[in-house]
Amino acid sequence: MNTINVTRPVGELLSLLVEEFLGELPARIFKVLLTRGRLSAPTLAQYTSMTKRQLLHGLVVLQQHNLLHYKVDPESTHMTMYEANPENAYNLIRVGKTLEMVDSTFGAAAKDVMRSLLLSGFTRISDLVAAYQEQIDEASKATRTEPDDEDPFAEPEGVNGDAQAAKKPGLVIKSTAHLNSVICRLVEAELIEVMHDKIFLTHHDLVKGAEAKVMKEYFPTGIKGNKAKVELQEKIADELREDRSKSKSLKRKLEQNSAAAKRRKLFAEGGLNGAPEEETDPLLDAKQVIRINHEKCLVDLRNRRLVQFVNDMIGETTGYVYAVLLKHLTKSLPRCRTDPLIDISEEHIEQGKGFVTTDEILDSLKTAVDLSLGLGKESRDKFSSRAAEKVQHSAPKKKIILEAAVDGDASADEDEHDDGDGSDSDESMADGDFKPAQANGTKVKFADGVAGDYKLDRPTQLKQHLLLLAESSQRFVRHCGPNEWTVDFVPLIQTLKEAELDSIIEQQCGRPGLRLVRILRSKGKLDEKALTNTALMRKSEIQQTMLQMLKAGFAHTQEVPKDNKADVSKSFFLWYCDTNRSLDRLQARSYKSMLNCIQFLEVLRQKEKDVLSVTKRLDVKGREKDVMRKEYYDRYSQFLEHEKRLFAQMGRLDDLITLLKDF
Amino acid sequence: MPGDNDIKIDVFKDLLYDAVREHGSESRLFTQSDLLDLNVIPDRDVLLLVKVVQALTADKLLVATREGSTLAWRWRSREEAKKYTSFPNDETMLVYTVIDEAGRDGIWNRTIKNKLKMHESLVKNAIKYLETKGFIEPMKNNVEHPNKKMYIKANLKPSERATGGPWFTDGELDTAFVEELQELVFDYIKTKSAYLSTHIPMSGGGGGGGGATRAPKKGVIRGAAPSTTAPGEDTTRGTKRSATEISNDSSPIMQNSALPPRSAPSATPAPAHTSSRNARKVFLPLPAGYKQYPTVTEIAQLIDRAGVTNNTTLSEADIQQLVDVLVFDGRVEPIKVNGRKGYRVTRAVKQDTQSFSKRRETNPDCVSGAPPIPNGLMEAPCGRCPVFDICVEGGPVSPSTCIYFPRWLGIEQAPPAVSKEVTAS
Repeated sequence: MNTINVTRPVGELLSLLVEEFLGELPARIFKVLLTRGRLSAPTLAQYTSMTKRQLLHGLVVLQQHNLLHYKVDPESTHMTMYEANPENAYNLIRVGKTLEMVDSTFGAAAKDVMRSLLLSGFTRISDLVAAYQEQIDEASKATRTEPDDEDPFAEPEGVNGDAQAAKKPGLVIKSTAHLNSVICRLVEAELIEVMHDKIFLTHHDLVKGAEAKVMKEYFPTGIKGNKAKVELQEKIADELREDRSKSKSLKRKLEQNSAAAKRRKLFAEGGLNGAPEEETDPLLDAKQVIRINHEKCLVDLRNRRLVQFVNDMIGETTGYVYAVLLKHLTKSLPRCRTDPLIDISEEHIEQGKGFVTTDEILDSLKTAVDLSLGLGKESRDKFSSRAAEKVQHSAPKKKIILEAAVDGDASADEDEHDDGDGSDSDESMADGDFKPAQANGTKVKFADGVAGDYKLDRPTQLKQHLLLLAESSQRFVRHCGPNEWTVDFVPLIQTLKEAELDSIIEQQCGRPGLRLVRILRSKGKLDEKALTNTALMRKSEIQQTMLQMLKAGFAHTQEVPKDNKADVSKSFFLWYCDTNRSLDRLQARSYKSMLNCIQFLEVLRQKEKDVLSVTKRLDVKGREKDVMRKEYYDRYSQFLEHEKRLFAQMGRLDDLITLLKDF
Repeated sequence: MPGDNDIKIDVFKDLLYDAVREHGSESRLFTQSDLLDLNVIPDRDVLLLVKVVQALTADKLLVATREGSTLAWRWRSREEAKKYTSFPNDETMLVYTVIDEAGRDGIWNRTIKNKLKMHESLVKNAIKYLETKGFIEPMKNNVEHPNKKMYIKANLKPSERATGGPWFTDGELDTAFVEELQELVFDYIKTKSAYLSTHIPMSGGGGGGGGATRAPKKGVIRGAAPSTTAPGEDTTRGTKRSATEISNDSSPIMQNSALPPRSAPSATPAPAHTSSRNARKVFLPLPAGYKQYPTVTEIAQLIDRAGVTNNTTLSEADIQQLVDVLVFDGRVEPIKVNGRKGYRVTRAVKQDTQSFSKRRETNPDCVSGAPPIPNGLMEAPCGRCPVFDICVEGGPVSPSTCIYFPRWLGIEQAPPAVSKEVTAS
């Protein structure tokens, strides 16, 4: 579980977010729930000083968007207790990013469906179909209507700048069958999941419930001994896993259907363009209630983030290869972080096979991408293919027999030498039908007689990119077997976090600051003198920089007395860096900074109140430019511009927070 | 006969002194058996040896010291010995001895006093005498103990420990020197550990998949050889780089710049107009398993050859220190290939291809290395706000009274009160 530590700024931020997206009434309730904790409806009414009607209305809205946990006390009172769901509230900020991600991987139609789901919270499939049916009907009447009132969501989509683009060409969903197939695809990708009753329970309640059930069923006489304790833990984990897998019921049903396999095949070939699919999808059970699976969305967002990191560190061609690799690797990865309670022993259950082969990647690469880009070229004798292709087995879950790896190594070596013996002219000619331009280019180069022997075939080029990723100091991938690749996410994300921290330190305290922090990180605690010697910096400069970093929370001090008297003047003062502490502080800072953004937006709104109130009028709405006076319209458009920038900034901050909190 | 004996001892004195000098440097310690083994004293006559050694010690030509639990001697040059005999009193001689013994490390005047258990004024007088005679001098620019008054024998070079090694000049860390050398080393590693491509640029906008970001590059290539590109191909295969290669195959220039030869970038035959107008130089990472990433030894050799450090010799350990700093800066990273530890530049693609000295000509304040990764927090005013910690809604500093946000959004000083006019519609 990615829990948010709801501090005061975070609480404020979340309730402002809810206000931004759902309006003031739910936000007020949400805020009370955040600050007061678990409450029943009557007490809630008391704290919010709302009428019952208002309260229930607000609760329903919150419930609909999954921003509440509730639990009906089964024993005595049958009272329903409500609790805020800060994780989902925070997810609101990510709405635009999620949509953009869906748009780029699944096309505009999928994005549209996702947007409808985001707008209406969790929805019964039949309702969704009905809503779209209505639109389709209206569209067929040749009146171009927008999906519906999108006011609260206009801003976050504006961030991506493509909200309008999606609207213009009219309807993206052509028919209910089309809608059905889009939903099928999203369900298969696990981006949409089925609602079930347990989703409304807090994590704590869920665990307690599972524990009670297990105790009742298996240990009616209580637990005795360590063995029983372990068994209890396993049983609870099983129970929780079962609860968790309930939301995948629709996907399982789809997988059982033979049509799914066929569609996937079609999909792999040309479905990416969002072209209307074959209408062979099984009709989904209209009674199912679906919602967006934010956990899986996070996996995809993490992939993007990692690719961006590779782009920054190595280059874009390699980044593209990495994107393909990650896509394959995380296809069946349900979430970024494992739950320590649930995934105690059998991690592999939901992780898929845990590696990707070179061929799989090769098959999915776009043919337009030239893999020879982004890598330097040197004559072959300057490389040690053995060192490059070293296989690392350190994965705890995956064992490869040693000989196999050695064999693989040797054969790879031979391959390399074969290439080097001038036989690659044939090979690249053979490549001809695969990628004609390349072969063509090669031929000319042979005539030139200059760079001929560098022309590598595509699998080798691909492999070079992969090996480069494996060799990188960040360990983007692990060469876990001959032609098998995997990613160790946990250490990699830690590296990414540190890189992010480093970049902030460098920007705030300059390169000297970064140098000192990294020295401390690698050497542990040091006193000033040792620091001077290692950093090759003047003492005064070090003192200044360290002080600055101490204030910013990047470095910390420790006083070690020389003797029992603990004389301050004789004590050692050691500097050290606690990376996790710095990261926590960074996260808190980001939350606060985000809060400041949204509060400043409120300030802007107050300032432009008169203009904004005009734009809310029904006769003005939609045709602001024609109706409003120029001076006012300018102010309005300027405000929109500022609003957009502030939201964009919040999105950027979210990048950081997501990395620190969720990946 | 005493005179006879004295003459004998004088002879042996000279003989022994010469033999000892032949057998080792001034710092070598000779034990009694060592001296006997020199075969100067006939019949290994210990008594005679004692007499001879006593005489030599009295002449200050031998210095008695202790080696472990036994007594040992080392020799002293005649000039030095002459100095010793020239001192007016014993105190001065003792002070000089102590300073002499401290050698290149020098000695603190308080330590002298404590060691000799003499009165301060005596020590002061002795030091004054020795200083005026030019036998000793105060130690300047002591890095190890900057606040202590220390003395060292005249004409002796202070030890590395005292001066702080090659990075110190006149007792101060020579940051300019260090930085210059760092840039030199960094530039060397950069050019040796990455491939300079005169290719079409690799780095476009941030993020995104391969296809999307590649789009602008095609334009670049096509622009490079517009005459050879058939217009039809542009539209049909515009998104494929390979397609433009086809259209270019009649122009060997483009091939060369699209896939440069292995040799140094200067050998790239791409004509000036192509490279200057379109092809941007960029560093590319080398494929995995590259065996020739520069090592510290190679860097040390380079610096030695370049002769940039005209009066300082830098050992490999010094260079290692320098390279380590670069590693801590995040500018280079160590990489081990087949047990050979080399260094390579980080984020090769983002590096500036111009050498540091060249860039500094245009911009004296420039820094080498890739710029930090842009970051959401630092871009917002809050990331650099000096009063961020006390900023809270309702407090003295609050988002609503923030002066940085309006400036950041380009509002500057917000316009004063909005006119009360009713908006027309």
